[in-house]
Amino acid sequence: MAVGSLHHNGLFFRTLTEEQVQDIHRASCEILEQTGMVIHHEEAVELLRSAGAHVEAGNRVYFPTHLVEKAVASAPSRVTIYNRQGKPAMYLEGSKVYFGTGSDTLNYLDPVTGERRSWRQEDVAQAVRVVDYLPQIDFVMSMGLLSDVDRRMINREQYALMLQNSVKPQVVIAEDGDTLKDIIEMAAAARGGKDKLKQKPLFMLYTEPTSPLQQPRESTDKLLIAAEHGVPTNFACGGVAGASVPTTVGGALVQANAEALSGLVIHQLKAPGAPFIYGYGNSPMDMRTMQAVYGTPEAVMFQGGLVNLAQYYQLPSWGYAGCSNSKVTDEQAVMEATMFTLMGALQGCNMMHDVYYMEFGLTGSLEFLLINNEVIGRARRMLDGIATDRESLAVDAIKRVGPGGNFLGDEHTAKHFKENWLPELSDFNSYENWAALGSKTMAERAREKVIAIMQSHQPEPVSAEVQSRIAEILAQARVHVGAKE
Amino acid sequence: MAEFNKMSEMVIAGDFAGVKALTQKMIDDQVDPISIINDGLMPGMNVVGVRFKAGDMFVPEVMMSAKAMAAGIELVKPLIAESNMPTAGKVLVGTVKGDLHDIGKKLVNMMLESAGFQIIDLGVDIAPAKFVEAVKEHKPDVVGMSALLTTTMLSMKDTIDALKEEGLRDRVKVIIGGAPVTQSFAEQIGADGYAPDAAAATDLCKQLTAN
Repeated sequence: MAVGSLHHNGLFFRTLTEEQVQDIHRASCEILEQTGMVIHHEEAVELLRSAGAHVEAGNRVYFPTHLVEKAVASAPSRVTIYNRQGKPAMYLEGSKVYFGTGSDTLNYLDPVTGERRSWRQEDVAQAVRVVDYLPQIDFVMSMGLLSDVDRRMINREQYALMLQNSVKPQVVIAEDGDTLKDIIEMAAAARGGKDKLKQKPLFMLYTEPTSPLQQPRESTDKLLIAAEHGVPTNFACGGVAGASVPTTVGGALVQANAEALSGLVIHQLKAPGAPFIYGYGNSPMDMRTMQAVYGTPEAVMFQGGLVNLAQYYQLPSWGYAGCSNSKVTDEQAVMEATMFTLMGALQGCNMMHDVYYMEFGLTGSLEFLLINNEVIGRARRMLDGIATDRESLAVDAIKRVGPGGNFLGDEHTAKHFKENWLPELSDFNSYENWAALGSKTMAERAREKVIAIMQSHQPEPVSAEVQSRIAEILAQARVHVGAKE
Repeated sequence: MAEFNKMSEMVIAGDFAGVKALTQKMIDDQVDPISIINDGLMPGMNVVGVRFKAGDMFVPEVMMSAKAMAAGIELVKPLIAESNMPTAGKVLVGTVKGDLHDIGKKLVNMMLESAGFQIIDLGVDIAPAKFVEAVKEHKPDVVGMSALLTTTMLSMKDTIDALKEEGLRDRVKVIIGGAPVTQSFAEQIGADGYAPDAAAATDLCKQLTAN
């Protein structure tokens, strides 16, 4: 398959040529073969050793290229994720694009009070309900790190809140293997059994190596459990260019690709054909502030490269969009988020997350999420490209209206104008009408709408039976980890 | 002395080989080893610190300067009795249990070393018991814990509790850092301090060891 994303009506976008992609692939294979990875997981090291990898010092694994190529060949080229109702929600294939939020922010920008504070369970529940409402947001993540539950229970409680407050599919973070197993139990309860969950995945696991070139025990554990249960997973490093990955975009791609492929090899050795989502991130280090920064031009280009690599490997792709370093919903926030979202859409990245992240991912803002929802709507419209069928070329309408006429009264306009993008939050009023409505900025309008959604939107609830099963799983887990209610 | 100025300039420029050669020459010329540190290497690093804070130098350049200074120190160190070695204090650092991230921590180490602190780095994935053991062994002034993951930062409290149980908590200052860590989290778990970045961590250690 050629690299590049073909959208509708001939709209095409590509970051790297096929030759460049091959150069990166070969460089990553060279790293895996000669430098290898340190893998803190005995079963994974044994899987690799018996498949033909060279192991030194117990956990330093050198990957022969044939193992990489075999894994690439056995992983599926497309994955479908289904919502809680069992309907297909995301076809991770070709150049289709889907957007979702982020997980575990420390601070919540309360839309009612404007306060920046830690997250409570009711906040996450409300935020997830807002995600459930928004038409352009396709999947949900945990939004915020819960401050009001026992710390060993955080990821499980987050999952229960996601499951209960939205029908949309989820991407989950799990602290360890046991947490992941409980999340699988909850998802299976909602789906009606583990077999059905395997047939129709409801969530994707987000797990990661530690750059450079290490696989922590917990991540590898989760990777193997996901493979075994057919839970789609990525193995996505969060690179920090100049610190944990090279500062050049090409070098960052070589290393991040090597790390993702090392995960893929283990994953496919455990369960050939299990669904794997290829991707990773890069937040380059700002060399003045030492911050890992989201959505720099280099980070956005990097994502274009990874999507082309995913296409070369024929794997679904995972990336970022709609995120920012700004502390408030201001010009910087919207600029950074919009560039990433539009570019990600053009790149054809199948799953993009962190839409709604502010302050390098430390803070989440729902009003910012609403603005992003509108940006995604605009971007998706652009992916339609320009239709050039006879009706769209409007030759008959042009002839009908003729010199000096007016399209406003023509049936062609009435028939087609709704194909064009319509704003929800963007203001297209005259100055006088805008002033009469209170002279509100977009952020103010977004905040008002968030509050209205919170008050009115009722997501479809889980059944009483599923609800009690979730409560049971959580109660057992509390006993297991020794947590208080 | 012109050679001290030259050495400072070389530290500022991150001239690793130059600093090494000049230090060796000074040693051969019987220059006082402590003076090599205090009058040659440190003044250069102090300028680097000021320029970095002003935004005139960037982190990779500071790293090169620190490396150059370390090359000089390595040569003079064997010539100085340990008790005479100029030090701002001893800092024991480690990444907490379950976490393998250590780039931020290394950055902090580098900044602290440049400011004259002695660093004992336990490495990554350090369980509370290991911190306790190391505190007993090394008797540091400050213990620094690092975590990058929201899932691992929560174990910082376990280390603080373990230090309490062993009756060591009052003998050391505990500081924490890492992307998800905040001042309020530090207060919540009973740490003595938090720094948002490596430069601030240096100031924090100076402040805590001065008291």
